[in-house]
Amino acid sequence: MNRNIPARLISSAAAVALGIAFAGAASAAEPVSLKGDVQVEKVVTENGAAKTVLAPPTTVVPGDRLLFTTRYSNDGDKPVDNFVVTNPLPAPVRLAADEGGYEVSVDGGKTFGKLAALTVADAAGTRRAAQLEDVTHIRWTLAHLAPRAAGALEYHAVVR
Amino acid sequence: MTYAQTRIATSTAVLATLLASQQAHAANVAAGTLIQNTASASFTTGTATRTVDSNTVTVKVDELLDVTLVTKDSAPVSISSGSAVLTYQLTNTGNGPEAFNLTANPTVSGNQFAATVTSIAYDSNGNGVYDAGVDTVLPSGTATPSVDQDKSLTLFVIVTGPSGMTDAQTSKVNLAASAVTGSGTPGTTYAGKGQGGGDAVVGASGASANANGPLVASVATVGLVKSATIADPFGGTQPVPGATVTYKLVATIGGSGSIAGLRLTDAIPTGTTYTAGTLKLDTTALSDAADADAGKASASGIDVLVGTAAAGSTHTVTFNVTIQ
Repeated sequence: MNRNIPARLISSAAAVALGIAFAGAASAAEPVSLKGDVQVEKVVTENGAAKTVLAPPTTVVPGDRLLFTTRYSNDGDKPVDNFVVTNPLPAPVRLAADEGGYEVSVDGGKTFGKLAALTVADAAGTRRAAQLEDVTHIRWTLAHLAPRAAGALEYHAVVR
Repeated sequence: MTYAQTRIATSTAVLATLLASQQAHAANVAAGTLIQNTASASFTTGTATRTVDSNTVTVKVDELLDVTLVTKDSAPVSISSGSAVLTYQLTNTGNGPEAFNLTANPTVSGNQFAATVTSIAYDSNGNGVYDAGVDTVLPSGTATPSVDQDKSLTLFVIVTGPSGMTDAQTSKVNLAASAVTGSGTPGTTYAGKGQGGGDAVVGASGASANANGPLVASVATVGLVKSATIADPFGGTQPVPGATVTYKLVATIGGSGSIAGLRLTDAIPTGTTYTAGTLKLDTTALSDAADADAGKASASGIDVLVGTAAAGSTHTVTFNVTIQ
């Protein structure tokens, strides 16, 4: 999901700063930086009401929901086009929900599309509709990144 | 119509797949597994196409503590004077090897009698049935051996019934298992106690489970009725000197199961004399001597060893005396 809301812009400022620092150290090879992060959803009870909060993944067990975030920024002074971010799903997790904003692959990244339009072969050799647990890759496509443009792409996954 | 048929076929396939995927979900990712996520981007600047990778974020999966326990006795297990064996199955539904503490409790609400727990054992040889002297008995307070993720262990609780139970009474014995690492409210975390040095987290089961094993008492009972018939020397039924009294002992076995070593004895009443050679078990004459047959008789009394008597059977002993 391409988040351009102000809250995201505040955090992306940090990413930009980090990207510049990194680019400086690596002698300015890449104009675009990607910064991955992961958090776990924890349910806490506050004033008697259950509430879901994001926490560092210090303790994670099967069934937990994780939020994977990839922050991107165009640190250069030229625009970037055809910006495609591909994220192979780690094998120990499955996609939690089809949240939109991205295309998925159920064949190891060979082809991408909307989950509802994809099929996979079952044991009997017939095709069936693809399920969340069949997703192997996620792909976001942004046509254009202006200089200094930044944002965050995220997906939820459940530990298998 | 071809279209409709195709749709039906497809929906069947989907249904089958859903079932398969639910089964696949049953297996949790093992404790210690690393979840590693890396994104990569491709883009163009000017005419050049470039790619860049993100850093890799890594999450280590901690140990989930979960267990199920069920009775394997689909029908109540008969218990009589000896011991009875109740069978349970424990399954480690967590994601790491774990041992479990066991507690067998014969006091369950609604019990009509309280069995006594002799021991708890596990199916060492994996054949599903209790083999005394072969399957390992767990000393009191000893946990099970470690059970791997998604593996099951068959457990046996050996019990005896109380002397006061009556036929067809029912009772249950509760077996409870809890993870040795820890149990309690789901979500409780035991830092550093998990498989591979990670944390251990109590799962939805509370890391404990229990099940009731059913028992039914099988007790045979003996009803004994004694009657007398008098034949006097004058063709009447008066108890006068010289009259013959035929005593009849009828043992009726009730309940279920059988009685072992049933023995009927009676004394010759004072003022009467045993009539030699009149002892019978049912229709079979028994000699007075203590010999190979089931009975013996003397001036003091009779003694008949019926032996094993099944519920529903009756056994009748008759003998004659003469009034002096």
